[in-house]
Amino acid sequence: MTNSAGSKLGRRISGIVLAIFTLIWMFPLVWMFFMSFKTNSEIYAAPLSLPQHLNLDNFARALETLNIGRMYVNTLIVAVLSVGLGFLVTFLSSYALCRMVFRNKKLQRGLLRFFQLGLMISPFILLFPIYRITVQGNLYNSIWSLVLPYIATQVSFNTLLMYNFFKGLPAEIEEAALIDGCNLPQLLGRLILPMTKPVVVTVIVFNVLYVWNEYPIASVLLRDESMYTLSMGASMFKGAYSVDNAGIIAASVLIIVPELIFYGFLQRYIVDGMVAGAVKG
Amino acid sequence: MHWLSKKRNLFVMIVPSFVIYTVYIIASVCIAVYYSFTKYTGIGKAAWNGIENYVRVFHDKFFWISLKNTGIVLILSLLTLTIFGFLLANVLRVKRRGNDLCKALIFSPSIISPIIVGIIWIYILDPEVGILNQILYKLGKEGWMQMWIGGTVLSPYMYAVIFLWRQLGYLSTIFLAGLNMIPEEIYEAAEIDGANAFQKMVYVTVPMARNTFNIVILLIITGVFKIFEFVTQLTAGGPNHLSETVVTYSYTTTFSNGEYGYGMALATVVFIITLILSEIYNLIMRDKEEEQ
Repeated sequence: MTNSAGSKLGRRISGIVLAIFTLIWMFPLVWMFFMSFKTNSEIYAAPLSLPQHLNLDNFARALETLNIGRMYVNTLIVAVLSVGLGFLVTFLSSYALCRMVFRNKKLQRGLLRFFQLGLMISPFILLFPIYRITVQGNLYNSIWSLVLPYIATQVSFNTLLMYNFFKGLPAEIEEAALIDGCNLPQLLGRLILPMTKPVVVTVIVFNVLYVWNEYPIASVLLRDESMYTLSMGASMFKGAYSVDNAGIIAASVLIIVPELIFYGFLQRYIVDGMVAGAVKG
Repeated sequence: MHWLSKKRNLFVMIVPSFVIYTVYIIASVCIAVYYSFTKYTGIGKAAWNGIENYVRVFHDKFFWISLKNTGIVLILSLLTLTIFGFLLANVLRVKRRGNDLCKALIFSPSIISPIIVGIIWIYILDPEVGILNQILYKLGKEGWMQMWIGGTVLSPYMYAVIFLWRQLGYLSTIFLAGLNMIPEEIYEAAEIDGANAFQKMVYVTVPMARNTFNIVILLIITGVFKIFEFVTQLTAGGPNHLSETVVTYSYTTTFSNGEYGYGMALATVVFIITLILSEIYNLIMRDKEEEQ
């Protein structure tokens, strides 16, 4: 790629510009982080200065006023259930649509199209209907009220990624396994699943992040504070603390930092998922 | 494969996804459209009221304001994100130490919770507690201090700034994926013909990356029509619905005012607008491709 980049001097200049630009882009996050150690009066008097000392009071208050620990547990339960089950059902359906033999070919193609329609549907038109379905189905105020729609919203994306991946797998391996007398659960669990690992990780990591950040659906389904997920809880910070800005900032940092660490370790899969969803979606 | 593809196996594998997806996504769209033709306050039964709600959308001043605000964000985002995203991708494309780190950092705003994005920007833009006005004050530029958010004018422009901050890393990564597919030989040929770096970008990279531009523009269109969380945090659409986006306005109408029928009409209209915009864009692009 060296040729397309111009002269050595040009490259050096563009490198410096990039570094400065990155610093500017990071300013809001870094600055939030520093602010979370400051007292309210420090924030008010000298918003741009570094904190005087490493003051952890804000975090203590954040953990006390809003039960952030509880919010983490709730988010984790919802994420594990909805991403786990969502993966299981879409793994099976994508495999069936891609590799199994349908008597009716048209039905097979039609189902694939049908499953991908969801990529065009904006979540906001679904909010009130999902609320109605939840109430009618007697699920209101249960964990399933969130888990089921979260599974449904993963279907199209998972189908897209997994179907394309299955299509690229060589058929010979499956045929050999079948000749050796492999049954369906063995074929899927011992052979296909391990071969699908890269796309499995992408799908799971991407969906965990989605559930972690999801707010619109949670906001219409959660009333009981003890069931709040992180995003839902965060939307209430302003009301809960009223004038305690340091508390709000500390609580926000308690949500962002683990998320950034998660991103740091699994960056490749997150980026892959977001790019793949866009390019085909 | 045949003997595993018994009807029972196929059924067990497809039905769970099918049911959950049909109920929550496909049926939901139908339910939304159904309610959009009714008057429903949450008590009793929904009363059929024909196209009344759609007529009302057409005459609703606040809907047009929210559409105008969304339009402002859309136009600004199309300009800034395509240009900066493309330029950034060109800079990131050069092999250089530290590039991957810069890319990862610039990408990071798009993975954090959009509610928290809203909270962060309150502390920058809010006229009272935000640092922007405080900095201007300390610099003695009182005249530049503004109601960045919560006033009557600037809010949608600030939404565009936040959207830019959040999406730039993501979209430049999409650009980068597209640019990396351009064969190196073309650049070599251009170089032999004496093209400089700028000419190579304009005459090779831009035309070769046309598909990527299309994807990015479609992502911006659909993305802008999903702007929601940080608006609820920054202004809640206020004062008096003047800084709503179409999505927040339909949400407030539905859930805060309890006008479920009318809210669904708004949601349906917004959904159709998004589909039309991306479809029109698709058609224009296809025509152009055929011309060439």
